[in-house]
Amino acid sequence: MTVLRQIDRAVGAFLAVMQWLALPLVLLLFLQWPLRDIVHAYSGQANDLGQIIFALLVASSVTAATRAGTHLAADTVAQRYSALTRHRIRQIGTAIGMLPWALFVLISGASMVIPSLREMEAFPETYNPGYYIIKLALWLMATLVLAQSVVDILRPFKAGER
Amino acid sequence: MEWTGFALLILVGVGIISTGLPAMFVLITAATLGAILGVASGVIPFGILWALPGRLINLFDNDLLQALPLYVTMGLLLDRLPVADALYRTSIAILPRKPSAPLVSGMLLGALLGPMNGSVGASVLGLSRVIAPRLDAEGVPPPTRDAVIAVASTLGVLVPPSLVLILLSDAMLSAHTFAVTQTGRSDRIINTQDIFHAALAPAGIFVVLCVALAWMAGRKAKAPPKRERLTAQQGLLAGFSLAALVALLGGVATGYFFAVEAAAVGAFVLLVAGIITGRLPGPVMRSLLHDALAITGALFSLLLAATTFTLVLRLLGTDRLVDRLIVAIPGSNILAVALVLGVIGLCAFVLDAFEIIFVVVPIVIPPLLIRVADARWVSVLVLLTLQSSFLLPPFGYALMMVRGAIKNPAPFKPFVRALVPFLVAQWLLLLLVLAVPKLVHLTDNTDDNVRPTLNSVPAEEIDRQIKEMVPPAEMPKPP
Repeated sequence: MTVLRQIDRAVGAFLAVMQWLALPLVLLLFLQWPLRDIVHAYSGQANDLGQIIFALLVASSVTAATRAGTHLAADTVAQRYSALTRHRIRQIGTAIGMLPWALFVLISGASMVIPSLREMEAFPETYNPGYYIIKLALWLMATLVLAQSVVDILRPFKAGER
Repeated sequence: MEWTGFALLILVGVGIISTGLPAMFVLITAATLGAILGVASGVIPFGILWALPGRLINLFDNDLLQALPLYVTMGLLLDRLPVADALYRTSIAILPRKPSAPLVSGMLLGALLGPMNGSVGASVLGLSRVIAPRLDAEGVPPPTRDAVIAVASTLGVLVPPSLVLILLSDAMLSAHTFAVTQTGRSDRIINTQDIFHAALAPAGIFVVLCVALAWMAGRKAKAPPKRERLTAQQGLLAGFSLAALVALLGGVATGYFFAVEAAAVGAFVLLVAGIITGRLPGPVMRSLLHDALAITGALFSLLLAATTFTLVLRLLGTDRLVDRLIVAIPGSNILAVALVLGVIGLCAFVLDAFEIIFVVVPIVIPPLLIRVADARWVSVLVLLTLQSSFLLPPFGYALMMVRGAIKNPAPFKPFVRALVPFLVAQWLLLLLVLAVPKLVHLTDNTDDNVRPTLNSVPAEEIDRQIKEMVPPAEMPKPP
């Protein structure tokens, strides 16, 4: 259980850092307009950097939604189930859906992510560096989903859980 | 195996309702099951599943989707800053002192803030916090109060540049590109701006109808609204906010800003205002960013899941089956469009608007656009259907959100009864747009070359093109 708790804490701490990426994303995308229409320069760089930050932010956001319980769900029927039943349904759903999906994305994504990393792939249109980070974000997303899935599957039921 | 896709769609609907699991989990589980069945039966070569990472990376690389976190952040900022409150108080101070004034103000607030809030959920939370207590104080019956908040929260779906509109535009752009490629037509591919313009007239009509209905519903209120003293600071804030909102909405409508830039400008201005006025100290900012990440994740994960699910449906051949079924619909294009909208409406009983955009639209709209050339008209009709889906009992997202957000929600049946006039108005508008496609072309540019609705492709030609179609899923090299 200690390892499980450590994984849980590590994921939580990582997401707490990643949430701040929203601020530079807002700033960079805001700057695009004056850079394009007033400065007439650097708009492409702001866009590419914004794209990298966006990729990292949304890659982290999937697991953040799972932890915060904000995923879209219709629980009109399920709220009549006992808390233990809901816990078990969630464990099964995670074990047969999310866990294998995250593993598949990690494995099948290797053929795209690794060459991109090796070449330090640049953005295809602007040749600005850093496009490989967008591909790496796929692995980040899958790794976080995998870690959270392991935690959710193995986490024992606690009395008072909703 | 083509029909397996339909079985999977039904499984998704049943799974979402019966398990209470997030739609993402259900979609991915159904996709996994479909992939296993397809590979086991030899219909899906295992190597083709390697196309999935490429499709997912396309989502990380999509300019338009950058609007997601921006709109979510803006919605959360509007909820935490006193903008909505100042606008509501100012509206009450300006309107005649009639019992209907608070309901009309609530409706106008929804129309004004809805597009910038981005999501219906954020609008429900904001309007519930700002106007629900005041409507209670004015003696508005709880069912009317809840109905007005639910409807006002969905006005942002229609009024540009809302998040639903942006996401639907992206889906329609893909569908239209596919249809134009398959038919060899010379139509210009529609973009977000085209759909914004096309939605303006229907949105205006619906806002007017809703304000009129709110005015009529308000006659049941017990007392005229109390004149709250409007401070100069609130008046100034309301004036500045109104000017900024109109400038942003106008900028997007006239093409001066891209939608993502408008969202970025709005979020940036609100962030700076919040920091300067000291309303976003450390803990509040942390909580805001935490919520922004979690809500963005809720929407983005649905996109990831829907991309996985629709890939499996395509590999099973369900998209080609849908193509053939839509081509085989007898009669006019209007009937074909009405039937497809009916299917989307049926899906709305179990799926919410985002799920429909990501899962259903990519399957049913491309073949429809092969048959019906007017992509703007189809887009606005889908948009109106989606807006209706937010309000459709019993699972409409806005209805569920209102009942969750208000401390003392009205009983469900009276709530639905109060909602009926708005739903009827919404469906009448849908029928009007269906019957009069010109309504979406009032702001067309003269150089637009989208064909009119009735200039359709002959059935034989569609049949030939469908037969020539190749599976849209790309064939990557197996590992």
